[in-house]
Amino acid sequence: MSVHAPTLQERVTLIELVDRVLNTGVVLTGDITLAVADVDLVYLGLRVLLSSVSTLEAAA
Amino acid sequence: MIAAPAATGWYLYGVVGAADERVRRSVEQLHGVGGAGGLVLVGGGSLAAVAGPVSLHEFGEEALRERLNDRDWLERAALAHEEVLERVAEAAAVVPLRFGSVHLRLDDVEALLDARGPAFAAALARVTGRVELGVKAWLEPRRAGAAPASSGRAYLEQLRDARRRAAAESRELAATLASAHARLLERAEEGVVNPPQPRELTGREDEMVLNAAYLVGARDEALILEVAELDDRHRRDGLRFEVTGPWPPYNFVDQGAFA
Repeated sequence: MSVHAPTLQERVTLIELVDRVLNTGVVLTGDITLAVADVDLVYLGLRVLLSSVSTLEAAA
Repeated sequence: MIAAPAATGWYLYGVVGAADERVRRSVEQLHGVGGAGGLVLVGGGSLAAVAGPVSLHEFGEEALRERLNDRDWLERAALAHEEVLERVAEAAAVVPLRFGSVHLRLDDVEALLDARGPAFAAALARVTGRVELGVKAWLEPRRAGAAPASSGRAYLEQLRDARRRAAAESRELAATLASAHARLLERAEEGVVNPPQPRELTGREDEMVLNAAYLVGARDEALILEVAELDDRHRRDGLRFEVTGPWPPYNFVDQGAFA
């Protein structure tokens, strides 16, 4: 019997990733950190992509 | 001292307890967010960071900000970040880092582990032996209303009745969700409720009305069973519950301790 184990791509959508990888988890700030993804920036980026949206509230 | 070749930085995925062979093996075959693999464990003390080399052309500050607007790139990179953390989590407790933490030198990473040692140690203790489960609730779109009114006055009455109904349903839904969260919290060590995502983001007809995460023991199924029960109980009212995971514990790190 073979069971299809879903791949990561099948299980996880960008929406789930937005909520976790992009929006939670430790953020390390400080002079020696080169680049830290800014949450507002991420949502702005997604806002740009969702061209059909006229109003989209930023995450609380 | 390990120095990266020019124009390379080190991307951080998460922090584990002392570097061990299982974790090292779990990440050595992975491609990582940059696609080139080469993931290593950094740090020889009681904490180790999972890191991988990335090109600064792709992950430097300016480049990264631009790429955040590229949905395909973002989806691939975020998936890669998640994949690394899931594989690490199979081997050891891990404190997830948010997407986008890039450092110029591995020395910097070691220094960071030293500087934030107590915070990372506390964060690790909180999540060891535990997993995060996501719970979402979805509300089906409202069905079409009554037949059109025959007169202006009847129309106004219809409108007022519809508003009253909507307000009552809204209160009822809020109570149902509060009760559901309370029941789920009883079956978890901790829980958080996050803002639901709008339809524009989910692309679905139904509306996300609950977006929660819970920290549970790794082999504890009580919460999963409760979600199934909630779904059974409320499905005929058009309210569905679903559980996802296990996830690395993104929602259960105390960001304040790292500021």
